[in-house]
Amino acid sequence: MPKVISIHSYRGGTGKSNFTANLAATVAALGHRVGVIDTDVPSPGIHNLFCLEPEQMGITLNNYLWGESPIQDAAYDISANIGLDESGRLFLVPSSVKADDIARILKDGYDVKLMNDGFRSLVKGLELEYLFIDTHPGLSKETFLSIAISHVLVLILRPDKQDYQGTAVTMDVARQLNVRKMLLTINKAHSKLNLEALKQKVEATYGETVAGVFPLSEDIVQLASEGVFCVKYPEHPVSQEFRNVAQQIL
Amino acid sequence: MADLGDLQSLTSSITAVTSPFRNYLNDLHAKYQSLNDGAVADYIPELALAKPEWFGICVVTAEGQVFEVGNCDQLFTIQSISKAFVFGLALEDHGRDYVNSKVSVEPTGEAFNAIVLDEVTNRPYNPMVNAGAIATADLIKGHSSTERLKRVLAMFQRYTGREHDINVPVFLSEKATGFRNRAMAYLMLNFGMISDRIDETLDLYFQQCSIMVNARDLAMLSATLANGGVNPVTQERAIDEHHVQDVISVMLTCGMYDASGEWCYRVGMPAKSGVGGGITAVVPGQLGIGTFSPPLDAKGNSYRGIKVCEDLAKDFGLHVFNAAKPERDINEWIAGGNDLNDW
Repeated sequence: MPKVISIHSYRGGTGKSNFTANLAATVAALGHRVGVIDTDVPSPGIHNLFCLEPEQMGITLNNYLWGESPIQDAAYDISANIGLDESGRLFLVPSSVKADDIARILKDGYDVKLMNDGFRSLVKGLELEYLFIDTHPGLSKETFLSIAISHVLVLILRPDKQDYQGTAVTMDVARQLNVRKMLLTINKAHSKLNLEALKQKVEATYGETVAGVFPLSEDIVQLASEGVFCVKYPEHPVSQEFRNVAQQIL
Repeated sequence: MADLGDLQSLTSSITAVTSPFRNYLNDLHAKYQSLNDGAVADYIPELALAKPEWFGICVVTAEGQVFEVGNCDQLFTIQSISKAFVFGLALEDHGRDYVNSKVSVEPTGEAFNAIVLDEVTNRPYNPMVNAGAIATADLIKGHSSTERLKRVLAMFQRYTGREHDINVPVFLSEKATGFRNRAMAYLMLNFGMISDRIDETLDLYFQQCSIMVNARDLAMLSATLANGGVNPVTQERAIDEHHVQDVISVMLTCGMYDASGEWCYRVGMPAKSGVGGGITAVVPGQLGIGTFSPPLDAKGNSYRGIKVCEDLAKDFGLHVFNAAKPERDINEWIAGGNDLNDW
């Protein structure tokens, strides 16, 4: 049975897209067929990490939501772009980065039922084992939908007060939506912090598992937004931590 | 549902979208969308304008959850589906005994427009054939044609929770070409089965058939019956609970024109169809189904609508006389369980 994993954070700047790209690539590198869908229609960006240039994107999620094409036509096989070997496959459904397209979807909205049906036909059409949903920060229709449809919800937070509060709000919503499994991930933890103590404190506060703790990494920052770190540097401790998180959703 | 908090109401609408049951309906829609059998009714030009690819499925539970797939907002004329509900209003106006003295409840096996009355009592056979529906419309109380029409429209509003209009071109076409219905009315007048306000009653009959509805309205109509006569979303009572059983029984025995016997045997959900392409089906105590797809089979029932009802009845054991454990548990599919593999 295919698994749907939503990656979400209450506030922007938590490194959500970067995390999604690395986790999806890690799972694909283990030999699975993986899809990533960028439902962050107001501010899409994950295509950069997969080295998919706007001029290479003909059909996007927007065209599907406007009823112009099947969702499979908006899926791009980016396995080669990020240097995956033969065993796994990674597909990306990007959102349009054209200002006109973003304006149109913000102005007219879209049918949330269509988004749900699109997830399902993408999984069926591409015979995906895992579908990762990258969402817009905060709470919106698509956040609710992606939480409700997910087998696993991964919430990313930084160790600061604003993120703590926002994460609590998101968890309330997720429980209201009867989410099946929730995992917390702490990102951008300062190197001076005791990571194990931080993990235990967050777990005690929210009553959910912390799947991974990622330190503020200059290595990743240096490579940010071009290529997938985990594939390039599989032996790095950060890549190790991604494999650790992946084990908890497989 | 109107009293729920905003968060609860938003989460409830989202869970209706992602529920395994809606996904099932979505697959059903995809399965039958490509079915190109049947023909759109064309006995009046306005009906022939319907697009054969239009296809909507809506299910409303007795708890007021709404599941919809496809063209559930597309309006069309209710046609014969109105007959079941106007029959309910006649029961409220006069009670069962008087109504039965004017219209029998016996299936005919004849076509819906057959000119045939019971030879002993001179009653039309049932309220679902044209003759019986005209006799039923005659029973609707009101001091003027306007008041009678407004009572019928208000009744539909109680069932569906929204205001309804008449499609005037359809009404005028039906009126201009309805010679056969006019002949039946005069035949019944001859036997003293209906009052002599024939033009007014025929107008009301043509108007009730020209009411505009969509697939969601059809599901709401039957969900209201399934819920004992109370609209499960607005909580407004549409019909006295004591008459619900009478309406549903006649739908089961006579609702699908002269295919009613076969329907009862194979599908077993009390239902009423119309030549506009609609079907409304009741699962008493549980839910209402509304389907809309204009192409009709030879007996005048929506081709895709029949398939959808057949599958729902079979997969979830919704036949009223089903005694076997169904393949799928409807409540589980609506609620969505962790163990359910709906992918």
